[in-house]
Amino acid sequence: MSVDTTTESAPAPKKGTNILLGLTLLGLLLFLWLLLGVSTNAFWTPNNISNLLRQGAMTAILAVGQTFVIITAGIDLSVGAIVGFTSVIVAWLLQAGVPLWLSIILTLLIGVAIGAFHGFGIVRMGLPPFIITLATLTSLRGIGLLITNGATISISHEGFTNFSRADFLGVPSLFWMVILVAIPAFVFLHLSRWGRYLFAVGSNKEAARLSGVNVDRTIYLAYILSATCAAFVGLLLASRIGIGNATQAEGWELQAIASSVIGGTSLFGAVGSVHGPLLGAFILATINNGANLLNINSFWQRIITGLLIIVIVYFDQLRRRGSR
Amino acid sequence: MSSLEELSHRHEDEAKLAESEAVPRGAPILELRGLQKKYGLVEALKPATVTFLAGEIHAIVGENGAGKSTLIKLLTGVIRRTAGEVFWCGKPVQLATPNEAISRGINAVHQEVVLCPHLSVAANMFLGDEMNRYGLMRKAAMERAAQAVLDDLGFQLPAAALLGSLTIGQQQLVATAKAAMRGIRFLIFDEPTAYLTRQESAQLFRLIRRLRDQGVTIVYISHRMEEVFELADRVSVLRDGAHVGTRLISETSENELIALMINRSIEQIYHKEKVPVGKVIVETRGLSGPGFSDVSLSVRAGEIVGLYGLIGAGRSEFALGLYGRQPVSAGEIFWDGAKVDIRNERQAMELGIALAPESRRDQGLCLNLPIGLNINLPVFRRLSSGLTIRRGDEAANADRQIRDLRIKTPSRRVLASAMSGGNQQKIVIGKWLSHGARLFIFDEPTVGVDVGTKAEIYRLFGELLKQGAGIILISSYLPEVYELADRLHVFRGGRLVASHDHRAATHEDVLTQAIGI
Repeated sequence: MSVDTTTESAPAPKKGTNILLGLTLLGLLLFLWLLLGVSTNAFWTPNNISNLLRQGAMTAILAVGQTFVIITAGIDLSVGAIVGFTSVIVAWLLQAGVPLWLSIILTLLIGVAIGAFHGFGIVRMGLPPFIITLATLTSLRGIGLLITNGATISISHEGFTNFSRADFLGVPSLFWMVILVAIPAFVFLHLSRWGRYLFAVGSNKEAARLSGVNVDRTIYLAYILSATCAAFVGLLLASRIGIGNATQAEGWELQAIASSVIGGTSLFGAVGSVHGPLLGAFILATINNGANLLNINSFWQRIITGLLIIVIVYFDQLRRRGSR
Repeated sequence: MSSLEELSHRHEDEAKLAESEAVPRGAPILELRGLQKKYGLVEALKPATVTFLAGEIHAIVGENGAGKSTLIKLLTGVIRRTAGEVFWCGKPVQLATPNEAISRGINAVHQEVVLCPHLSVAANMFLGDEMNRYGLMRKAAMERAAQAVLDDLGFQLPAAALLGSLTIGQQQLVATAKAAMRGIRFLIFDEPTAYLTRQESAQLFRLIRRLRDQGVTIVYISHRMEEVFELADRVSVLRDGAHVGTRLISETSENELIALMINRSIEQIYHKEKVPVGKVIVETRGLSGPGFSDVSLSVRAGEIVGLYGLIGAGRSEFALGLYGRQPVSAGEIFWDGAKVDIRNERQAMELGIALAPESRRDQGLCLNLPIGLNINLPVFRRLSSGLTIRRGDEAANADRQIRDLRIKTPSRRVLASAMSGGNQQKIVIGKWLSHGARLFIFDEPTVGVDVGTKAEIYRLFGELLKQGAGIILISSYLPEVYELADRLHVFRGGRLVASHDHRAATHEDVLTQAIGI
């Protein structure tokens, strides 16, 4: 049967534009590095670069977890609170004499449990993701403060606190942790069927369900991954500052969301990648680092970050509309 | 003066503008001269010269991708033309923005309702044009006025009800009433009856004729030939982005229009394969659930079982119950003679049931994801080895469906939202072909689909039957189920009220049973 029907528009293939955004962000990051290298002598020193990689690492890991959730058209506001809370948990466990390996596993399991609780609230209780994660954001900090009675638990385990200061092959161990998270995250999101299911659920739950996708399980999975990433960051933070304190990591959830959005994730769901939020996190870290080196008032850093979000997302929107 | 006319003259300045551009009935109101639209190298609309007359109903027919949507978007200022001229009341105009089109009195009612479900009917009708006094909204006055308009139109809809509580068909009527209130002079309907019941369609047609009699020019786009002949004064045909002719309705025939559209005769469209009927695949006994009760029917290998009824008669609900999407409260399902319990979609799929659902937008497709991902969504498990997907197989499966079904796309990576209705339907079907099944449920597979694609879909049914599958075909378009179904069941109010063998009853009988007079 020869029926000639032509599509009414021929938009650019999606994959090409994804890579394009990645390259643009990478270009922006390199441009910032060049600019800072020219304008200040202190930037390209091994010490500063290590510092920059350490600063960016924790946001990067949070942003990757956050991206999984945002792709399902959800949001996880609790990640900053989880970081603070789990820093308390691991400090508490170590103080109580629990072996290091067991403390780490238990702390990560706490993350899994918090994520599962979010999934339960969304799937079973029908609460909006914004609400359930907002609720844990405030209550987790409260529970953390209750456990320590408002005090800070210091960590005396030297192996644990030395880890964050250590280098491996000249690269800070914290940055290696980013790679440790990013590679399985990439395989999961871009190469496995569960990654495809995240996108499908974020695009159209009903279509996904009728296609045999277990939508509830996919939502659980996204929030568990996000909370577990946050618990992992809680371990790294505890190692870096050597204490457990429930009020730490204030506002990191917004840093993570900003990194993810700068990295091309759509808050409407179904658009996102693993490399995008990583680049986004290091762009933010570079701006903070550069502003410090250039002696720019730290209040300005916040303003610059806000402007950057607007500019990058605006251009991303323009590009998407242009390809329609 | 009726309440509709009163409201449509509510704004004095607009009324004056209308007078200054007055065009006598039957004179050209909108002229397109060499209107053209290109996307890159793709010519979506080849230079078209069409004249619309004041106070006529002008139908536009054509297959998917023939350029109908492009034409509407050009006329309503959603996209800008590449070349050509547009004359409104004899003067050249730009039509560069939607606001310019609306301010000239050009408006469109879209197939998919674009209103706010959480607001009341009245609030929707006055949205963006509220009645105010001292800066406060006059809610009661708007409700009264809206109710007067609805009553006046004979719609029998409550103005105070939430829009979301109405059926899609009723929402469509509200959208039309809203457009009619705005003092329009040129109103475009894009497949307005796709989701309407017969009564609702009849109400809509009355409104359209009434607007025409008031001097409004109507452009009516539809795939349903009988509607075009019932309503239109003139009809223009588009094919492959080109305007291939305009006819007076009184001087043309369905066959001529179809020949202009596709170069093929109507007998070839409802082409039905004769396949030997095998044993029973599925049987339901007294199946009940939300929206349907006590439904007993069976489907055998190699046959099409048609479910006809009005929208809301319980056919889709029955399908969703059989597919495990909705809980079944009573009754039994037998698969290959053995009693089965289908509790979720996965179990249905594993048994061998596929469901191409009613609404492509809400249930069928992930619109902002690539075509390839949509096609592969039910089969990613099969395309995976261990943790990861075999990317080569993933691409090959998508490309095979795109090729076999002739989905017109440059690549599997194009987003599903960029496709026309017919191609989107093919993507939905492609999902289930790649999964494979023994019982295919097609719920309204040809809504918003052109004649050519329809013929392709019917042909595909034949292929499936030959492979030993059974088909449940749910349709509100009587000729379709009537011609294709080996056995036709009529639904009314959630119950199966009558059953007929192929062509055993007349159209009138079936209709009467569906409406329940």
